[in-house]
Amino acid sequence: MLADFFAGLGFAYLGMLALCQGLDRHYKQVWGKAPSARLSRLLRVAGWVSLALSLWFCAQAWGWAMGPVGWFGLLSLSGFSLLMLLPYRPRLAVWLPMGFVPVWAVIATLL
Amino acid sequence: MKQTLTQSMAWLHTWGGLIVGWLLFVIFLTGSLAVFDQEIDNWMTPELPAHHLTDEQAAQRALTYLQTHKADAKQWGISLPYERSPQLQASTGGRRDGVSVTLDPDTGEVLPVRETVGGRFFFLFHFTLHMPRMIGIYLVGALAMGMLAALVSGIVIHKKFFKEFFTFRPAKGQRSWLDAHNASAVLLLPFHLMITYTGLAIFLVIYMPAAMDALFDGDREAFFKAQDKTPASVAVQRPATTEPAPLVALGPLLSQARAVMGPLGGISISNPGMSNAEIQIRPILGNRIALTKGQGMRFDGVSGEQLSGPTEMRPTVLTHRVISGLHFAQFGGYPMRWLYFICGLISSAMIASGLVLFTVKRRRKYASEGRVAQVLYRLVEALNVTVMAGLSLACISLLWGNRLLPLGMVDRPDAELNVFFGVWALSFVHALVRPRMQAWREQLGLAGLMCVSLPLLSVFTVNRPWALHSSMGVELTAMVLGALLLWACWKVSQPAVERVPRKKTAVMAEVN
Repeated sequence: MLADFFAGLGFAYLGMLALCQGLDRHYKQVWGKAPSARLSRLLRVAGWVSLALSLWFCAQAWGWAMGPVGWFGLLSLSGFSLLMLLPYRPRLAVWLPMGFVPVWAVIATLL
Repeated sequence: MKQTLTQSMAWLHTWGGLIVGWLLFVIFLTGSLAVFDQEIDNWMTPELPAHHLTDEQAAQRALTYLQTHKADAKQWGISLPYERSPQLQASTGGRRDGVSVTLDPDTGEVLPVRETVGGRFFFLFHFTLHMPRMIGIYLVGALAMGMLAALVSGIVIHKKFFKEFFTFRPAKGQRSWLDAHNASAVLLLPFHLMITYTGLAIFLVIYMPAAMDALFDGDREAFFKAQDKTPASVAVQRPATTEPAPLVALGPLLSQARAVMGPLGGISISNPGMSNAEIQIRPILGNRIALTKGQGMRFDGVSGEQLSGPTEMRPTVLTHRVISGLHFAQFGGYPMRWLYFICGLISSAMIASGLVLFTVKRRRKYASEGRVAQVLYRLVEALNVTVMAGLSLACISLLWGNRLLPLGMVDRPDAELNVFFGVWALSFVHALVRPRMQAWREQLGLAGLMCVSLPLLSVFTVNRPWALHSSMGVELTAMVLGALLLWACWKVSQPAVERVPRKKTAVMAEVN
C-alpha cells in the first residue's frame, strides 16, 4: 500500500510540475527563456496524464472510494511544496522527481 | 457610493475574514492536532506499555478481570487495543454511568495510569471551544458559515486564479503575504471547501432542527430509531425467567465478526452469566469512509448464535455518515491521517496569513489614523499574536503540564486545562504589554523551544518515554513543528523589507 501511496504522491508532484512548467512564466523562472509552443503543449498533456496516473495509484493504495479523497490531498500538497520550492530552488524543484525513483524502489522492495 | 461586486466582496472578505479568522484559526489548528488525538492521548498516558496481544487474548484478559472483580455487574464492556492505541480497557455500567479501568496487558490486573485530559481535549475543543452546553457548537457552526463566505468571496476577488496558480514571490513584504495567502487557499481549495462543508453537515440536526421537530415532535430518540433500516430490536424468543448460564467462548465470535466487519474495536456484554446474555461486537471506526459508530453485530451470549448483523444504512443516513466520515478522517490509515494533518496545518497557515495581511497592509497608515482606529489596530495586532503564537504556546504548554504536574494531585485534568488557558491568557497580556514585534518573537521563540525540547522533557520525567512508537512520533512531529516556529521567530527578527509601491494603481489592484 505504501509503495502505491508513494507512487501516487510522485505522479501528483510530477503532474503539477509539468503543468507549472507548461506556463511561460514558470518555465522562464527555471530556464531563463520561454518554451516553444510545442514544448508547452507537450508539458501540459504530460501533466494531465501524470495526474491521471496519480489517481490510479491512489485508487490502488486506498480503493476507489477513498482513493479520490487522498488524491485531492496529494494534488494540493504536492502543488504546495512545488510552490514553496520554486522561488528558492527552481532547479531542485524540477529535478526532484528523479529522487523519487530510488525512494519508491526501496519502499517497494522492503515493504 | 456605487460599488462593484468585486469591491463589495473585497470588503466582505477583509472585515468578515478578520472577525471569523481568529476563532477559525483556533478551530483549524486544534482540529489538525485532533487528527492525531489518539496518539497524543497515548503520549499523555506514558504508563501504557506496548504489547502484541491478539484480539482473542486481549478479550480473554479483560473477561477474566471482569469475571473475577465485577461478576455481579449487569453490563460489561471491553475496548480492545488496536493499531492506534495499545490501551486495553474493561468497563461496567452503561455509556453514561460507566466506570472503566485500564488493564495491564501482561498480567490482566488494573494498570494505574495518570489522570489527564488527553489528546481528546483537542478534539472536543475543536468543536465546542470549551464553552458550556451548546453555545460552542452553535458558534463553531456560525464560524464555518463565515469560512464558506470567506472562501467564496475570496474566489470572486482573486482575479488571477489560474495565472498565479503557482506564484509565490518571497521577501517582498505585503506582496509575499498576499501570494502565500492566495496560493495556499487556491491549491488547497478542495480541502478547505470539503472540511468546512462537512464540518457544518455533521451537526445538521442541531443547526436545522425544524424537520426533526415537525416529523418527530422533537423526539431525538424516535428520529434516530427511524434511521435504522431494520427494526431496532429483533424479536428473540426468550423464556420469561432467566437462570445462570455460562458465557459462550468469545474467540469464534470475534473471528466471525472480523471476517464480516474488518478490525474490531470493542465488545459489550449485557447480562453476563445469565441465560439472556447478549454480546455485541463493534468494528473500529475507519474500516470505511462512513462513520460506523454504534453499529456492530449482536450474538446470543449462551449459544453464540448471531442475532443481527451490521445494520444496513438507508441511503440518506449513509450519505450523512459518509459526509461526517470525510471530516473525521478515520479511514485510509496513517497516510490519510498525515494528509489531513498537513492540509489542516496549511489551512491554519492560510487563515493566519490572511490575518497578518490585514495588519501588514495597514501598518504604514497607522500613524495617520485617528485615536480610536489606533487603539483598534493595536488590539488587532495583539489578538493576532495571542491567537497564532499564543495558542501554539498554550497547546505545547498543555503537553508540558501533563508531564510536570504532580501525579497524585486532585482534579489533575482540570489543572492541565488551567495550564492551557492560563498560558493563553498570559500570552494575551504579554501581547498587549510588549511592543508588537517583540511579542511575536518571544512567544514564537518560547513555543518553538518548548516543542523542540519535548523529548528532553520526557526523558527526565518518564521511565520509558518511547515504549510506544506513536509517542516517539508525537515528539518528532513536535520537534519539526517547533523548528518551524523557531524559523518563524527568526524571520520575524529580521529587519522588515518595506517596499514602496511603484504606482498607486498597483496598490489598488492588490486590494483583496
